[in-house]
Parts: sequence; C-alpha cells; structure tokens
Amino acid sequence: MKSNKETKRLFVGGLGWNISEGDLQNQFNRFGEVSDVEIITRKDDQGNPQKVFAYVNIRIAEADLKKCMSVLNKTKWKGGTLQIQLAKESFLHRLAQEREEAKAAKEKPTTGNTSLLEKMGVVDFHVKAVPGTEVPGHKNWVVSKFGRVLPVLHLKNQHKRKIIKYDPSKYCHNLKKIGEDFTNATPISSLTWELEGGNDPMSKKRRGEFSDFHSPPKKTIKVRKNEGSTASPAMRPKPSRIMESPWLKQQAAQKTPDSAITPKSSCASDSESQKVQNVFFQTSGLETTKNRNSMSDDDIDSEDELRLMITREENLKKSTWSSMNKSESDPFEVVRDDFKSDSQQFHTSTGLGIKNSVSCLDSEDNVMENDYDSDSGDTDEIIAVNKNAGKLKNSIEVSQMEKSIHRKTSLKKRKKCDLSDSIKERKRKNSVDIAVSHRVKPLSCKSLADSIDSEDADSASESTESEGDKEYNAMMKNCVHVNLTLADLEQLASSNQEAPKEDTDCSGQETTAKSDRASKSRRTVGDLHKGQQCINPEEIVASLLEGKEDTRGKQKPKENLKPKFQAFKGVGCLYGKESVKESLKESVASNNINKDHNSLKPEAPRSISMEKRSLYANGSSGELSSLQNAKANDSKEIQPQKKQFTFESQEHKVASPSSSEKRSRDPTSSLLPLKDKKSLSLAARTPRRGFDEDCCHRTGKSGDDSENRPNLSSHKAPEKSEVSRRHAQENKTDFPLSVNSSSDINAKEKQAEDNQKRLAALEARQKAKEMQKKLVHNALANLDGHPEDKPTHIIFGSNSESETEESCTQEQSQPGEEPVKEFVGRASGKLFDSSDDEESGSEDDSNRFRIKPQFEGRAGQKLMDLQSHFGTDDRFRMDSRFLESDSEEEQEEINETKTAEEEEIAAEKLKALNIVQSVLHINVSNSTSKGSVAAKKFKDIIRYDPTRHEHATYERKKEEKPKERKAKRKKKREEAEKLPEVSKEMYYNVAADLKQIFQTAKDTSEKRNNMPWNEDSNGEKAEEAQDLAALMTEDEQPGGFTFSFFDSEAKDVKEETYRVETVKPGKIAWQGDPRFQDSSSEEEDVTEETDDKKPSPEEVSLPEKETTRFFFFSKNDERLHGSDLFWRGVGNNISRNAWEARINNLRMDCRKKHKDAKRRVKPK
Amino acid sequence: MRPLTEEETRVMFEKIAKYIGENLQLLVDRPDGTYCFRLHNDRVYYVSEKILKLAANISGDKLMSLGTCFGKFTKTHKFRLHITALDYLAPYAKYKVWIKPGAEQSFLYGNHVLKSGLGRITENTSQYQGVVVYSMADIPLGFGVAAKSTQDCRKVDPMAIVVFHQADIGEYVRHEETLT
Repeated sequence: MKSNKETKRLFVGGLGWNISEGDLQNQFNRFGEVSDVEIITRKDDQGNPQKVFAYVNIRIAEADLKKCMSVLNKTKWKGGTLQIQLAKESFLHRLAQEREEAKAAKEKPTTGNTSLLEKMGVVDFHVKAVPGTEVPGHKNWVVSKFGRVLPVLHLKNQHKRKIIKYDPSKYCHNLKKIGEDFTNATPISSLTWELEGGNDPMSKKRRGEFSDFHSPPKKTIKVRKNEGSTASPAMRPKPSRIMESPWLKQQAAQKTPDSAITPKSSCASDSESQKVQNVFFQTSGLETTKNRNSMSDDDIDSEDELRLMITREENLKKSTWSSMNKSESDPFEVVRDDFKSDSQQFHTSTGLGIKNSVSCLDSEDNVMENDYDSDSGDTDEIIAVNKNAGKLKNSIEVSQMEKSIHRKTSLKKRKKCDLSDSIKERKRKNSVDIAVSHRVKPLSCKSLADSIDSEDADSASESTESEGDKEYNAMMKNCVHVNLTLADLEQLASSNQEAPKEDTDCSGQETTAKSDRASKSRRTVGDLHKGQQCINPEEIVASLLEGKEDTRGKQKPKENLKPKFQAFKGVGCLYGKESVKESLKESVASNNINKDHNSLKPEAPRSISMEKRSLYANGSSGELSSLQNAKANDSKEIQPQKKQFTFESQEHKVASPSSSEKRSRDPTSSLLPLKDKKSLSLAARTPRRGFDEDCCHRTGKSGDDSENRPNLSSHKAPEKSEVSRRHAQENKTDFPLSVNSSSDINAKEKQAEDNQKRLAALEARQKAKEMQKKLVHNALANLDGHPEDKPTHIIFGSNSESETEESCTQEQSQPGEEPVKEFVGRASGKLFDSSDDEESGSEDDSNRFRIKPQFEGRAGQKLMDLQSHFGTDDRFRMDSRFLESDSEEEQEEINETKTAEEEEIAAEKLKALNIVQSVLHINVSNSTSKGSVAAKKFKDIIRYDPTRHEHATYERKKEEKPKERKAKRKKKREEAEKLPEVSKEMYYNVAADLKQIFQTAKDTSEKRNNMPWNEDSNGEKAEEAQDLAALMTEDEQPGGFTFSFFDSEAKDVKEETYRVETVKPGKIAWQGDPRFQDSSSEEEDVTEETDDKKPSPEEVSLPEKETTRFFFFSKNDERLHGSDLFWRGVGNNISRNAWEARINNLRMDCRKKHKDAKRRVKPK
Repeated sequence: MRPLTEEETRVMFEKIAKYIGENLQLLVDRPDGTYCFRLHNDRVYYVSEKILKLAANISGDKLMSLGTCFGKFTKTHKFRLHITALDYLAPYAKYKVWIKPGAEQSFLYGNHVLKSGLGRITENTSQYQGVVVYSMADIPLGFGVAAKSTQDCRKVDPMAIVVFHQADIGEYVRHEETLT
C-alpha cells in the first residue's frame, strides 16, 4: 500500500471564507500525509470574499484518494459545500521537477538513449505508432499522422464562442506551413524568361540576333583567317585534316565518275602529261587531297587551307553539314570552331542579305557584295590552281581571272583563240575551260542560292530549302559534267587523227553520256540565266517566270534524245524573255555568260564535223547518224542563245552572196549533215567569219544588241511567225558553221577589224532586212502557189527521215541548181520539222516581244506588281480582268490628285502606309489611299443629279401609287367610320307570292278589308313593303343605302339583300284543306282580333262580296263560320262586366282573407 | 521643315505602334483629311495638309512649330514621344492603365506608377508594352511602359513599379519650355 502512495495535489473548492489551513490539514490527514495547503480567496471589489478554495498537496494512495473523494465530496463543512478534485501540480513544483530532470540529464549524458528517453518519460511507442493513439502517460498528446507526437490543442474559435479541440491525428496537413508551397511553384519552363518584344531591331539585338550587318565583319574574319593560315602554317594542326576528310570523301565520291571517265580521255589523248594535268585541274577536290598529302610544303598547305575554306563554304550547302559536326566534335581546335561558326554565319548572312535585297527590291548592294564575295572566292581558287600548276599559264589565267571579275567578254575571245590554236594551245584552253568551269561552279552556287532566296522571299513556295539543296547538288554535278564533256570533246578532237573505227566506238559509248551531260549542262545554262536575273533585282519577276519554264525544260531533257528540243525550247524561251525584259547591261552580262557556256561547246560541232568527214569517207553507220543527231542537237541548243548574233551574220550572208547561193545554203540549214555545210561554208567563209567576230564584239557593246532586238521584234511582229521561225532555224544551222569557221581562223586581228566591220554590218543589216522581206514575200507567194508541197511536212516530222530525205536533196543541191519550189517546200517542211516545242517557243518569242496588254501603262505596272506578289502561280495569273477595277481606281486617283503638291502628299502617304505595313506586319494594301477606298466602296453607286435628264430614270414614280393608296386609305377610313351608322329604315324580306298578293290587295282595298284577321296583319306589312318597292324604283342606287366597303361590292350586296322581284304569283296557290285550321295561331291573336275588329265594321260595310281568295282563306270562307262557336260576338261586353265584377269580388275576398290573416297574426 | 525619311518614319512608327498598334494606320490614313508628318528642328509634327500649306509660307528659322508635335528624334536617332501626342494617341490606345486618384499626382510629377496606385489595367498587357495612363475618371494622363505584365501585376508586391513613366500631362507645366 505504501508503495502506491503518490503525491497528489487536490483541489478543494467551496470552502467557507473563515476556513484555515489547519482545518484543512486536519481534515485531510485522515487519508494521507498532507504536505502543503494553500488557500486562495477570491474577493469582489468591496473586498468581500466570494470564493474560497484550496490546493492541498497530499501524499495519498489511490484507494484513499477515492475514499476521500467519496467521503468529502459534496459535503457541507464549515459553511461551504466541499468540492474535491484532482488538480495539476503547482507550477513551482513542476519547475523544480524539470530542473531536477535537466540536472539528472546533465549528470548522466553518457547513458544510453533508451535510458535517457526513459528518464525523460518518453515511451518508446514505435511499435504502436498508429495515428490517433494517445501517448501513454501524457494526456492530450497524440500520435499524429506522419508519426509525430503532437499535443491536442484546444483552440478558441474566432467566430463562434466555442473551443475547438484540434486533434493533430485527425488532420494530416499540420506540416503545411512548415513545408514549401508547392502548389504555386512555377514550372521549369517559365523559369527561363524571354524578352518580349516585336521584331524591332532593338529587341532583336537584345535577344542577340543580328541580321544585316554581318557580312562585312565576316569577310574581315575570313581574310584574317587566311592570313593566319598563310602566316603560320605550323599552327595548323592535324585536326583540320581530320575534319576535312569527310567532305573530301564526299567530293571524291562525287568525282568518281569523273575519274572513271577521264582516264579514258587520257588514254586516248596524244600527250599523257597534259591530260594528267587536265585531270588534275578538273578534280579540284582530288587535287586538294594530293596537296594535303604533301604537307611539307608550306605554301601549298596554306593555299590548301585557303581553297579549303572556300570550297568548304561552297560545299556547306551541298554536304549535310557532317563536316561541320565533325569539326564541332573536335575538342582541340578552337580556331576551327570559330571558323566554322564564321562560315556558318557567312552562309546564313549571305542568305539573309539576298533575302533582304529581294524583298526590298532596292538593295542591289547586298547581292553585289555577295557576287563579289563569291567572285573573289573564285579568283582565289583560280589563283590557287595556277600556283599549283606552277606553269607558264599563270600570267594568262591571272589576266583571265581579272577579266572574269569584270565581265567575261574578253575571255571568250581568248578562248576562241585557244580553240583555233594548236594542240599546245589547246592544253591551255583546257585549263581555261576548267577555270571557267570552276567559276561556273561557284556561280551556280550563288545563283542557286539567289534563286532560292528570291523564291522564298516572293513566297512562291515552289521550292523549299531542301529542294534547293538538292538542286544545288545537281548543279554541282552538272558543273562537273561540263568539265567532262569538255574533256570528251577534246578527246574526240584528238581522236580524229586516229582511226575512225575507234572513234565510232568511243562515240557510241559517249553519246549516251554526252546526251545526259549535255542536257545537264543546258540546265546549268538555264540556271545561270536564272541566277543572273536574280542578281539583277529588277528582273526578279522575269526570273521567276523563267525559272518555271526552266524547270520545265529541265525535267524533260532527262527522258530521251528528243526532249532535248524541249529543253532547247526552254532555253529559247528564257532567251526570248530576257531579250524582252532585260535592260541592256543585264542582257550583255547574260549574253556573256551564255557565250561562256557556248564557248565551252564550240569544239563539239567542229569535232563532229571532222568526224563526219572521216566517217563520210568510210561510210556512215546508223550509230553515227544517231551520234550526229545528238551532236546536232547540242549545236542547236547552243544556237538559240546566239540567235541574235547569228541572225546578223546570216543577214549579211544573205546580203552579200547571191540569191542562188542563199538557196543552195538553205537546204543545208535543214539539218543536213554538216559536211555539206562545210563545203558551202568554205565558199562563204570569209564574210561569215567577219560577222561572227562582229557579233562577239557587239556583245561587248550593248548598243548593238539593243538594235538587234528591235529588229528582230519588228521583223517578227509583222511577218508571219512561220517565216520568222524559219529564219531562226536558218540562223541556228548557220551558227555552227560560223563558229567552226571562226574557230578555224586565227582571231588575233579581230579587234583591229572590229569597227570597220561593225559599220559594214550595220549597212548590211539594213540590206538584209529588205532582202528578208523580199524573201518572205517570195516564200509566201510560193507557198500559196504550190500547196502540193505541203505533204512534205509529214516527211520532215522525224529526224531520221528528214536526214535521209535531205541526203537525197543534198545530192540535188550539190549540182548547184535547185528549183525555187523545192526550196520553198523545204523551208515549209523545215518549219514543221522543227519540233512543236520550237514552234511554240518561237511563238512565245514573238509574243514576248510585245508587252502584254494588261501590263501596259500604270495600271499595268500595278498588275505587274501584283503578279510579282503571286509569283508564277498559275492560279493567280493576272488577267486584264483584274485591270478594270484598278484602272478605275487609277482614274479616280488621278482625278483626285491633280496638283503636284497633292500628289506629293499622296505619295508620301503611300510611303508612310507602306512603312506602317512593314512595321505592323499587316496588310494595309486594301486602304492604300482614301480615294481608292471610296471608289471601292461606292463604285456601283451613282450620284443622283436631279438636273440631269438621264437621271430621271432613277427617279422613283412614287407620286401615283402613294396617292392611290392614300385615297384608298381615306376611303377605308371613311367607310370604317360609316359602318356603325345604319340607316333607320327597315327592310323586310318579302316573299314573292305575298307581294303579289299585296299588290292585288292594293288594287282592291275593300277586299283586303274583308280579309280575315290574320290576312290583315299581313296586309299591313305588305303595304310597307310596297312603299319600299316604290322607293326603290324611284332611285335605283340610293347612296344612303350603301354601307359596303367598295362600290362594286355594295351593288352586289344590295342586289342580293334587298332585291325585290316581281315574281308571278302562282295562280294555283296551295289549296289547303278547308277543315284544316291552325288553331294555335288563331288563339294567339285573340287580343288582336278585338283590336282589328274595331275598324272592321267600316270595312265590312263595303259592298265587296267578291270571294277573292286570299292566302289561306277566301272571303266569306265557310270554313270560318265554324269559328263562331268560339267567338262570343255581342255578348262579349256582358260577360266582360261579369268577369270584372267577379274579379273585384275575388279581389275583395282575397284582401279580406289577407286582412284576417294579418289580424290573426297580430294578436299573437 | 521636311518630310521624314523612310528610316525616320520607320523608327517613329515603331514607337507609336507600341502604343496604338495597328490603329497607327488610322493616323496615317485619315478619313477626315490628309495628314502628314513633318520634321522640323528634330521634332516630328503631325500636320494637316491645310496647315502644312499655310506653314509653307513661313521661313524655317522663324517657324516654331506647326500642327501637333508628336515627339522628337534624339541625337542617337531614336524617337521620343512627347506628351503633346497624347490627344491623338489616347483614343487609339490598345493597352490602358488606370491609376487611382491618390497616385495621380505622383504620376503627374513624373514618377512611375506603383502597384498600390494601379487602379485598373487592360488584360493581356505584356511586359514593356506601351500603355496610355488614364485617371480613374478616364482622363488620359500620359504615356507609360508596362513594367510588369498583367499577370505579374497580380502577384507583385504593392510597392513594385508596374508602369514606367514616359510622359505625362504634368510636363505641360514642368517642361513648358521644351514642349512645342
């Protein structure tokens, strides 16, 4: 028991105020040892004790405590009711206890955790840490969720006067305020922020985007790099080479066809060393590899680097940037990275620059810069090539390079010289060609980039960048192929001296390859055209148009040999368009480029001709003929580009030689074997040569070209298109001859002769025009006169057939005399012999010389602008239909802006609007000017001018209708008002027979008076009806009667309702049974009878005895006699009096009885 | 006095477009008459054609101003909007900020607008968007640039700047000598 004793603190309440500690101590000592008693007295304001309680510290056992509680609780003791409860320990005591514990903890820190915990009174309840379990020994401490022990809180509610028990085990979010607020956490994406801003330059700069100003620094960087590379070649470590290897491989892979073919040429060539050189030049990539192999040479290395960089720039687009990636992955090379990024930037910046230029249409500068860049690159390359060659060619090619930078006119000349030179010189020429081809490569890159960008800028959306890349690849290949063709040509030329059999073999193999190559080279020509025009921003529209046709032309040549014509046509179209649209300088430039390309070729015809010569001797095989075809096609392809120049030459030929000569030459023009031409051309070689040279120089001078074109157009416009076509073909066929001749002749003295010849050419041309006209007339006349020659069309449809035919005719022509007819027939045949494409092409040419009607004038310009907006999209091709509205607007605009100032302001406004458009990136074009807007809005609305007579038609005839309507309305209203008033007169619908009866009754009033009573009443009515009838007869349409809405209706209504008809009375009316009486009616009218009877005596006295039959009864009808029984007659009064008396009596009685009854009631 | 060059026009339009967006079009292409911009003493004036003709009679050095000054080009060829343009731009403003009456004075003294003074703001206002500042009584007070987007304005603490001061009608008094 003792052990159970604990120190407890008891609360003893309800004590009397005079209690003492001793009393309490004594009282509680019974149960345990009282250690301390504390009495607390609560007093009110006055100091009167209100409440007295005490705390008693007692050492007591549980049982005793219970006993104490039960004994003392609620007992009255010394003036108060005791209330004993367990109390908390006094805070002092607790404090002391805590201190003791703290001390104890300090004293025994080394004791185990468990012991410490035990000492601290913490129970190890890890096992039973289920949320909600109370901590044993600690009241109000609960294991909360998450396993923490937390006190149960009693919180006072703010709003309600309640104390809420906050049980942490019930709420799991008690950690919420400690932890971070994850709900509002910003997503990771929003942690990185971007400057928001438009596309204005400032914001772009802030974002680190720099658009326009990069090409110049780029250049400097490049230069620096080059310098660095040259200055310190030792600095170039191996990684560069490693990096290069991938693209080199690519290049090698690309060049493999070259290398595969070139050996053939080398084996066939005369001098092996030269050929090796050629190969060396052709495959620049391989060359670079070779050079790299020889690392010891510093110069070569630096040049290597230089070329490397250039080629890299070029190849960046072509290759899939694999090399770039490689270099990026290379950790050692810092410079490389820079360079790479530079090149990348360069690439992008050039693209951007071009884009900008295209979009602005103004800034040629950028494009020119780009031009210059690439050109410089070319020159670099060429220089590098020269150095690597290390031959005496250096000087020549450097000069060539310079010229190429300027323009390539002189280059062609030089090439011609080369062509005419011996084999040694040919070697040089090859190098030149290679240089040219090299140049072509970058040019094509550039042009392609241009075209791509321009297309992009114009949003034609025809070609994406990827397509562009593909095209670029194709271009590169094409360029390579151009080289190859050259090599082949040379090979052919050289192999002429060898056995013809070999030739046939080689050519047989090569024809196919050549055809492909030729087509591709043609493509390059087209592309070059495109590029050229893209460079000239004014021609963007034209270039776009051309671009399409170009692609069309491109697609077809791949198919077969025949499609070459189509390709040719495409080129021809290009050319035609150029001639129409290009300004003089541009045309010169493009022509020069054409020439460059052509100059690559001229060997071909010659070599072919040589071959043919030899072959002719041996006898031509089918294979050779096909080859010839191909060659002819090739030559043809070149010719249209040269059309203008050859045209002149042809004219001169026409002028100088006799007509017979001409005739004899014409057959040759119809695709005859070139041999014949040779023979002819030998005769007319000198003049032709001169004119070829002329042409060459004329291209240098733009003025002559411009003259040429008008001539062409003027000639072609009036003349028939067929004739013009024929001429064109003549020119074409002539051309190779001329080229050949020119190539044969040494052209050193050309320049000296140029001026004289030009003058002569001018005269000759005039003559030629006249001659041509004559010729045309003749030809036409002949055509008309001899339609039987037309069937030849069919003959000339196919090439092979034509050849055979021509070979036959040839024989005829060789004698020298040929009938005019045949010539004409040939000519016509030629017309149709030229393929359809050609026809259409020439037609296009003739059409293109004319400005399309819808593009004329200012409105036309607008249309052109619009068209350029849409590009070459056929769906949006601008017609003249689009012109109309525009023109109207235009007119109005013109009307509006009469004065110069106003115009200026309007222009300014337009400019401002354009800028607004560009700033806001929206389309404001709809409201270009206020006037136009107004015009658009009110185009269809005519302003009404009352003074003008025409406008009377616009007047509405309002007056009549509304009046009518008003009148109607008024009438209506009146009628509506009238409607309520009804005429006072009464109308009766009278049965016809009755009326008849009444009429007769009127005649004999006595009769009616004698009528029986019921007839009488009717008679009165009838009289009235008669009156009415009389009235109606008096005035047929009395206005007062009409209360209908409309007159017409009123009539009808009146007639219907109030018609009084005179119907013949049925003489034999209904003879009722005399015995039959309608008693009921009689009885009703008893009272009336009495009234009627009063007048009746007078009437009765009337002497009428006639038995006129009335309605039911006749007068003095016997039937009525029976009614006397019911009729009292004279005794009426008596009975009446009696009846009255009786009534009085009865009344008296009744009153009496009533009074009696009242009296009786009253006493009660 | 001369018309603006293209570059100048572009710079100016870009600035104005920050405040009125595509409504700029309406300024240039007005239905009620022809208006144009003229540069005079580095200041851009928005002039009706009529006044322009009249002003042409006055020599350039004597001409103080014509039409309405929209702003001026700084030496670095940036365009600075003047408060005088407020009358033309306020009706077209796309993004507006209304400030509480207590903050009006502060703004009119050339201070930025704090969030505590922000009464109302057009929704979807992005950061650094040009805004026209109104009083709560819808009286245009000046130009500003939103320092915070509308969303950010909700979160930001009350003393943070929400609108940068650009120009206010207090400048009529404060900068009387420079305003033309």
